[in-house]
Amino acid sequence: MLSLDVTGLEMRFPGLASPVLSIDRLHLPAGARLAITGASGSGKSTLVNAITGLERVEHGSILWGGEDMARLSGWQRDAFRARHIGLVMQDFHLFPGLSAFENVVLPVRLARRLSVAEAERARLLLDMTGIARPAQKIETLSRGEMQRVAVARALLSKPGVVVADEPTASLDRSAGEEVADLLVRLSREEGATLVVVTHDPALSERLDRRIRLAGGVIIEDSGEAEAA
Amino acid sequence: MIRFILADLRRFSGGALAVVILIALSVALSVAVTLQERAVRLGSARAAEKFDLLVGAPGSETQLALSSVFLQPAPLPLLSGQVLARLADDPRVAMAAPVGFGDSSFGHPIVGTTTALVAALSPTLAEGAVFTRLGEAVVGADVPLSTGAEVKPMHGSVETGGETHTEIVYHVTGRMAPTGTAWDRAILVPIRAVWSLHGMAGAHEEDHEHADADAGADDHEHEHEHGHVDAQARLDEHFDAGTPGVPAILVKPKTIADAYRLRQEYRSETTLAVFPAEVLTRLYGTLGDARSLLLAIAIGTQGIVIAAILLVAIMHIGSRRRQIGALRALGAPMRSVVVIVWGELFLLFLAGIALGGGLGLAVAELVSARMTAATAVRLPVEFAREDWRLAAGFVIAAAIVSLVPAIAALRLSPAAALRS
Repeated sequence: MLSLDVTGLEMRFPGLASPVLSIDRLHLPAGARLAITGASGSGKSTLVNAITGLERVEHGSILWGGEDMARLSGWQRDAFRARHIGLVMQDFHLFPGLSAFENVVLPVRLARRLSVAEAERARLLLDMTGIARPAQKIETLSRGEMQRVAVARALLSKPGVVVADEPTASLDRSAGEEVADLLVRLSREEGATLVVVTHDPALSERLDRRIRLAGGVIIEDSGEAEAA
Repeated sequence: MIRFILADLRRFSGGALAVVILIALSVALSVAVTLQERAVRLGSARAAEKFDLLVGAPGSETQLALSSVFLQPAPLPLLSGQVLARLADDPRVAMAAPVGFGDSSFGHPIVGTTTALVAALSPTLAEGAVFTRLGEAVVGADVPLSTGAEVKPMHGSVETGGETHTEIVYHVTGRMAPTGTAWDRAILVPIRAVWSLHGMAGAHEEDHEHADADAGADDHEHEHEHGHVDAQARLDEHFDAGTPGVPAILVKPKTIADAYRLRQEYRSETTLAVFPAEVLTRLYGTLGDARSLLLAIAIGTQGIVIAAILLVAIMHIGSRRRQIGALRALGAPMRSVVVIVWGELFLLFLAGIALGGGLGLAVAELVSARMTAATAVRLPVEFAREDWRLAAGFVIAAAIVSLVPAIAALRLSPAAALRS
């Protein structure tokens, strides 16, 4: 379980005068569940890329449990992400030709030998996400099942935080609800901090705290509202 | 890792197959050129091995060697029979055998010679016995005639519109063991039968009447051109001044020094002496030049193919930016991404090189088999040590070329890759 502290974060794209994202301070205690909402172009994805280390941060600091993501090199950010952050993306990024099980263990297998315990945990996670046949080829699953496999993959290495970027956007309503359910339930059971970017109210309602972005700044924060 | 690479290749199986075929064809070209050139060189060198020294009438050295070693039909000027007699009696000569060409039967050359040459070509016969009468013949290993079969000689060949000799029918009495030379397709008959058939007096009963007209057939009247042959006559392998002319004499000198001395002696205004191996070596020089040219073209082709593959690979990486970005986003270390991109292309190269090697070998075998069927000269298709160096060179080049798209993948930022 990791806490998040964002301070003085400013992200700019070349050729744009104003920053696409500018956050003075954002604190998220370990184990919290945060929804980030906002119209498209509001800076949601940039924020996700910054806190997951997919994008290089020039100004400000992003502390995950005390470690500053902004000070790490690209390679170190990759390694940090592999160790601590489970990612769930809008279009799954599963790899056709491999089975559900192979997809879940792929990131670990590409980094090192898969241990017996990890293989066991992958089966358990697939069972918990309701994938009946782990040996089935991924491309033959329904979209809802695919995203559930992606959730199992994100949780395999017991990450301190799960970051989901529009996890339900490409799913129909019932499949979306199932995935939302899983994310909330499993991150609680696994003791992971949860950050979800979504414009799905059904999903954001279920999280403890919601922030809303517009023009790269936080214009609404339910956590601060409660604190105030 | 390897499962991921294979699954990925399966997904792009069409393109992967095209790349493998492209590599295979270009590799096959150089393999086939290299193997075939070596096969022709080794095969003809082995075919010439049994022929130490050739003596003929002045003319083309190359033609003399090709006609004797490969039995290539060509009109050779005749050499005086006295030379044969002199060589036969020379103490430095282990064997001197006349070779008389000109007739054929169903595409097989009929060669007039002596039992000594049969013994030199095939010390023990595969079946039957050597000829003892003028009407008998020994066939080469590849001639589809069994002992007792009849051979009707035809003057020249079917292609040149030759007529069939009616004066004699040879009976096959034996078959030589395979020699791997053009002589496997030949039908060997006593030289005196050939002389008689062509009206070149020399068979003893006519000897005294035509003693001064022996040198060639030209002096004879037409009715004498096709002489009478007594098929039952015993062999006479003693040659003297009255012996008719022959196109070539095969000489086995006793020592190497003798060989050089004899060649020196018989290079004169009236005779020509050559080492067939030396003539062929000169021909290979030309062949080698042709091989160098073909090989240069083959390697040039490979350069073009590699460039095309690089283009495909880099475009492929472009279209796979998302996949590569996702792999990194999900925590796959950089080295895995590099190994995957490098490994996929390298695997295709390896498959192409292996396939191309096999294909080139098959082509060389096929060409050799066809040439052997046509000429009976065995062309051995075999690998040599330098081939493995060439193969290793291909593999190393493939490994290095495969690095290019891998390095291109390295430079992608995962977020940018995912956005594309």
